[in-house]
Amino acid sequence: MSILTVKNLTKQFGGLVANSNIDMEVQKGSITAVIGPNGAGKTTFFNMVTGVYQPTSGEILLNNESIVGLKPHQVTKKGIARTFQNIRLFGAITVLENVMVGMHNHLHGGLFSTILNLPRVRKEEKEARREAYRLLEYVGLESFYNEEASSLPYGAQRKLEIARALATKPKVLLLDEPAAGMNPKETSELTKLIYNMREELDLTIVLIEHDMKLVMEISEHIVVLDHGEKIAEGTPDDIRNNEKVIEAYLGKGAATTAS
Amino acid sequence: MINEVLHTLPQVLIDGLTLGAVYAIVALGYTMVYGILELINFAHGEIFMTGAFVGTAILLTFAGFGWLASMPALVALVLVLVVTSVVTGLLGMGIERVAYRPLRNAPKLITLITAIGVSFLLQDIVRFIAELKNGNYILTGPSLFSGQIGIKASSISSIFNDASVKSSFFIVLIVAVIMMVTLDFFVNKTKWGMAMRAVAQDRETAALMSVNVNKVIALTFFIGSALGGATGVLFAIQYGTIDPYIGFILGLKAFTAAVLGGIGNIRGAMFGGILIGIMEMFAAANLPVISHGVLGAEYKDVFAFAILIIVLIFKPEGLFGKVSIEKV
Amino acid sequence: MKNVLHTIQQNKRLQAIVVGLYIVVTFFSLYLAQKSVVAFLLLLSSLLLLYFTTFSNRVKWLIGGVVMVVLLPLAASQGEAYQSYMEVATLVGIYIAMALGLNIVVGMAGLLDLGFVAFFALGAYTYGIFATGQANNFMPFGHYPLSGESFWVFIFIGCFVAALFGILLGVPVLRVKGDYLAIVTLGFGEIIRIIFNNLDKPVNITNGAMGLASVQPPRLFGIDFMYPNQFYYIVLVILITVIFAVRRLEFSKIGRAWKAVRENEIAAQAMGIHLVKTKLMAFAVGASFSGMMGVVFAAKQTFVDPTSFTLLESITILVMVILGGMGSVPGVILGAALVTILNLQVLTELTNWLNQLSLNGVINVPDALSPAKMQRFIFGVILILFALYRPQGLLPAKNPVFDEKDLKDADKLINAGVQKEATQHVHLDS
Repeated sequence: MSILTVKNLTKQFGGLVANSNIDMEVQKGSITAVIGPNGAGKTTFFNMVTGVYQPTSGEILLNNESIVGLKPHQVTKKGIARTFQNIRLFGAITVLENVMVGMHNHLHGGLFSTILNLPRVRKEEKEARREAYRLLEYVGLESFYNEEASSLPYGAQRKLEIARALATKPKVLLLDEPAAGMNPKETSELTKLIYNMREELDLTIVLIEHDMKLVMEISEHIVVLDHGEKIAEGTPDDIRNNEKVIEAYLGKGAATTAS
Repeated sequence: MINEVLHTLPQVLIDGLTLGAVYAIVALGYTMVYGILELINFAHGEIFMTGAFVGTAILLTFAGFGWLASMPALVALVLVLVVTSVVTGLLGMGIERVAYRPLRNAPKLITLITAIGVSFLLQDIVRFIAELKNGNYILTGPSLFSGQIGIKASSISSIFNDASVKSSFFIVLIVAVIMMVTLDFFVNKTKWGMAMRAVAQDRETAALMSVNVNKVIALTFFIGSALGGATGVLFAIQYGTIDPYIGFILGLKAFTAAVLGGIGNIRGAMFGGILIGIMEMFAAANLPVISHGVLGAEYKDVFAFAILIIVLIFKPEGLFGKVSIEKV
Repeated sequence: MKNVLHTIQQNKRLQAIVVGLYIVVTFFSLYLAQKSVVAFLLLLSSLLLLYFTTFSNRVKWLIGGVVMVVLLPLAASQGEAYQSYMEVATLVGIYIAMALGLNIVVGMAGLLDLGFVAFFALGAYTYGIFATGQANNFMPFGHYPLSGESFWVFIFIGCFVAALFGILLGVPVLRVKGDYLAIVTLGFGEIIRIIFNNLDKPVNITNGAMGLASVQPPRLFGIDFMYPNQFYYIVLVILITVIFAVRRLEFSKIGRAWKAVRENEIAAQAMGIHLVKTKLMAFAVGASFSGMMGVVFAAKQTFVDPTSFTLLESITILVMVILGGMGSVPGVILGAALVTILNLQVLTELTNWLNQLSLNGVINVPDALSPAKMQRFIFGVILILFALYRPQGLLPAKNPVFDEKDLKDADKLINAGVQKEATQHVHLDS
């Protein structure tokens, strides 16, 4: 069953076509990778799905319900969470609080009940703290919980982004280059984490990644973008042997991408 | 009612053009700095004010020595303009070096706060120097070009009233036009102008192309501040009386002009300045008439701010600016 | 020095002795030397000393409460300067509440508001108009001025009106991109002042530049509140409420949303935070503190006019926040107290002293350099120096520190909550 369906999705910035007529189906419970050379329009695609950019035309359906035109926070409420390619943590607050921010929509304390410090608000906060700590344990960051987020090492910051996204209780998780800047050991831990998340948390995962080893290892389905267009899709084996893909990465396509 | 508005139109246009020319040049300073650093340089209004004081002080000194009477007014003007622009230009560069450069990578909020601090500091320094030398911080300079010229607008159409202008009006306008044309030429046709545009577009890439970014930014501050200071002199000559607090509100309106024209766009700032000047004068003359006395002339400031807010909300890229997309 | 501090840190009994001794000594110095402003300030700063102790929050509040409610008024009450001390203390309280309001907007939500005093003006005019005959000019019913008993209701009305305007102004303003916000709010602050200055026609609502005179004093159980020592207690009660409210919001879902928006708007949205709603709430809550204090200010001064609400006032409040530490509640309280005391006491005292010296022919300070006129200079220098060298302020904001046991163990529900003591030493050591 398809949980996320994209039809004819197009985005233009002035004269520049960043995404052109992209069609895609993401199966529920799958791990799907979106790959392509730099500037292929992968992040633009994520930005449209999460409501950061409005598509010029096309449809995005989550469980057969259109999410085009929703604001980013509404998309999050619908059940899509994401991480960012250029890490966007809340640097000056603690690691634990970063995760707690992710629970925003699942907490109900209003202005007055908070000021009055009602017992239910206190209880809710306490549970939120526990839950946040559990999520930190899940990604392996619990020892940092009281630290300022900006003080974390790079790889840990990427993991914190994942924990924070999980806190929104998503159905679909979009990971934008989760392994960028990680060393091989961290990457293999991350690979395991992504795999486990799908198995244990009833998640559908879509990821953008340049690390082909990681992509080929865990994704069931791969979509290849080049110059804003989908040039191929299929299983890792299909993609490995696809001529268009090889051309996009190495052939004459490479020359034009570099310019 | 329309007749009444038309009666005063020639005078409104003349006054609006004068004020607009002042706004336009001050707006250049805001737009250049914003274009290159994305910083609202709150202190720019104070640079303008400092220019007015420096110019007036020089004129008063000349008058004190009795030179002013023996010197052609135009020579005195050119001299004062040159000295003042160098002084304020250096002041602007100094401010950038001390207060803004160390914060170039800090959050914007912090830089804005320093800018406000600099602005307050300048106000008070000028205040106490003026008060120390003069006993009073409100200063009236010697009048240079005070002849009145009547314009027989009624001969064009009987609906217009006659207007009158001080001869300094022409000086302000001519000097303003010269400054704007020169700057436009400088930015668009010279090597340094090109470096400036390059830094504004992409600081890092410009640096890779061996543009000395710090030098370009310092130059931008120098030119913007020199123009602002010179405009201060023009303002003092045209309106006579100055005080240390003229810069803030005027700066705010000039900033409005810069935003209206599309921030970072030099020709846009000039156009925006003239437009705001004319609209403000129109509002000052006609708000009481149109509203039957309910809205006094003091609401002209409200009018200017209202334009700012409306532009920022509905067309933040201004009349001639490009829509920018935030990269995620 | 470090060692000494460390020992004191370890030993609560020692701390109790030091604080107790300090309070007793300063109390008696003020009690006996009524004219000594220094003694007054020293007694006031016992609260700062208290802040640095490692006592539990409850104990701190208790001691602080005793100092503020009993000791300070009592010690000051023995001479002629009583009312002027209480006047200063009252104004300090008013400014602290306002600075805490601005701190929510600037410090927590990261929105630079340069027209904050507008909300103070709204509160002051709300009470001023109805507590003078002014309202007779436009209200079709009712008889004005309202009696002083209405003051207590007006505290809430002022709070509500300011919050409402915070939202009304915020709706258009907050759509503006980040750094433009500063200039738009500055414009709005001026617009409000100009409107109050001119709203004497067509219908005379604010009495224009003439202002509103003889505002009704607050009345409770037949007693009129007319003296600073009476207002002192009103302000104290409101202030404590405000501090509690801010503290609770700071470490709640709402406070976290504010900080998230400040740190990264795009990521905050991706966490499901409604940007505009969150910013509006910061605007409204911040404004409401100012509105309440505006009502008190109008009643205390018995006179309201537009000159009290200039840009300089807005910047003064900003200076308090920057000086104390953006986002830090204790810092902002300290900053507001320092700036207010500087304005009211230090600068005037210095000016008087210098005048005295000039009169005696010791030195000759020109009038232009009189410290009382140097506010802008001083504020400018504070803003620049702190932005450049200590952007986190005097007492930097602290993140809540949680106990790991509390997070792990579901059974041990005791010792729940935020433990702030654990980070105290960071401060003393540095």
